[in-house]
Amino acid sequence: MTNERLLFNKNILVAVDESESGRRAVSYVGQILGGMTGFKIIILNVIHEPDEDYFQESLEKEAWLAQHKLKADAMLNDHRQLLIKEGFEPNNIVVRSIILDCPSIADCILTELEKMGCSTIVVGRKGVSRKEEFLFGSVSNKIIHHAHDCTVWVVE
Amino acid sequence: MTALLSQKDIRQMTSRWLPASQHNRHFRIHSDTTDFFRIDYGDVVTLGENSYLIRHNAKEGRFGLDDEIKFWVKRAIDLQTGNLKIIKLVFHEKFTSHIGNIEFQCFRSPKKEARILDLVADHDNFMHGYSIEDESGNIVRVIDFIYGKSLHAYIGNLQIDHQTYFYDLFPEILENFMECVEAVGFLHAHGEKHGDIRRDHIYLDRDNQKYRWIDFDFNYWQKENIYSYDLFGLGNILIFLVGMGDVLIQNLKKKNPHALNALSEEDLNIVFNNRVANLKKIYPYLPESLNRILMHFSKGAKWYYENTIQLLNDLGEVKNM
Repeated sequence: MTNERLLFNKNILVAVDESESGRRAVSYVGQILGGMTGFKIIILNVIHEPDEDYFQESLEKEAWLAQHKLKADAMLNDHRQLLIKEGFEPNNIVVRSIILDCPSIADCILTELEKMGCSTIVVGRKGVSRKEEFLFGSVSNKIIHHAHDCTVWVVE
Repeated sequence: MTALLSQKDIRQMTSRWLPASQHNRHFRIHSDTTDFFRIDYGDVVTLGENSYLIRHNAKEGRFGLDDEIKFWVKRAIDLQTGNLKIIKLVFHEKFTSHIGNIEFQCFRSPKKEARILDLVADHDNFMHGYSIEDESGNIVRVIDFIYGKSLHAYIGNLQIDHQTYFYDLFPEILENFMECVEAVGFLHAHGEKHGDIRRDHIYLDRDNQKYRWIDFDFNYWQKENIYSYDLFGLGNILIFLVGMGDVLIQNLKKKNPHALNALSEEDLNIVFNNRVANLKKIYPYLPESLNRILMHFSKGAKWYYENTIQLLNDLGEVKNM
């Protein structure tokens, strides 16, 4: 057995989408850590770029992406305000919205987590049924099973 | 570039396939297929250097429902070779599909099917064909006609008892089905999904005895695991094959109430709750290793297949028994 002390930083990645569970995750972090010093919160939203097959024309795709980026920016701003209200310094909150064409949203989030070097990731659980998880998978479950070198908080 | 054909050329080319009374008729020739409703029996479609005589619209039956006419899919004769073809014209369709209470966005994609046709051109377990843009840029797919029955029809027409089926026919069917699973794995390895895995989308090719996947133009808005919907389809087909048809709760009520009483909620198909997944409770001679695979598609499953390799490994163990 090793006595080496593991080092954890205070950077926390909160992965959100447009669902209520994402807002719950942000709210949880705000309530638990608001007012404490040293924490940096990164709120990440991955916009899942649809298959090129989904659009008949490239203009249609551009319009789709622009619309979703706008919506994501408004949502992230709302989350940021929520954290400020809970006592976080504005300069300790980073919001990021990225458009990615990825086979798995969970894999994309975990790649971003690694790049940002956060010790903790927070996700909200949507409560998808077993049937739905079987048919399409679950982002939070995949993060729980595949995340390594970090701690996962799952907010119910 | 579309070949310019005269009425005389067309008459000459079509005379083999039309009754003498029609040899001197005037043919409608389409090089723009956008309005596929206008393309009718006896018309000619020209695509690049090739011309096709339209015979009729394709129909698709869906498990006991009446056949639906698919006006964008035509049966045709290749006027150069005389071979029968399926011509799939562009029909952009987006709709919300339901499985139980789960909604998901589906759409047809000619681009996807064209891409997959290129990818599987040398693969025995898929339909073959090519894609070409018509005069208006529509991606038309020209598919080689497969002579044979669908797997759905083949199993549905068997007139033997289950035990005989299981020992005499199933081993070969399993081997062929495993080739189909491998073929879907081939798509996944290339970042593609089949998208519409059903037992009537496998055809048993009469010429080479191969099982072949058809129809890849269906796509859906993927969520976390882009391949799990295909795996769900494979699981349903496997249960259908092992059971020599779907074992339905309503049929058991009449034919085998004893077996019905032995079933619990966890023995049913995870998605279609009127179908039995735990078939060993109906057919006790099924090997445990095979039944375990079926149970991964049941309501009682603790773990789901994430890819075709996992499913193939387990099926391989059954095959080698």
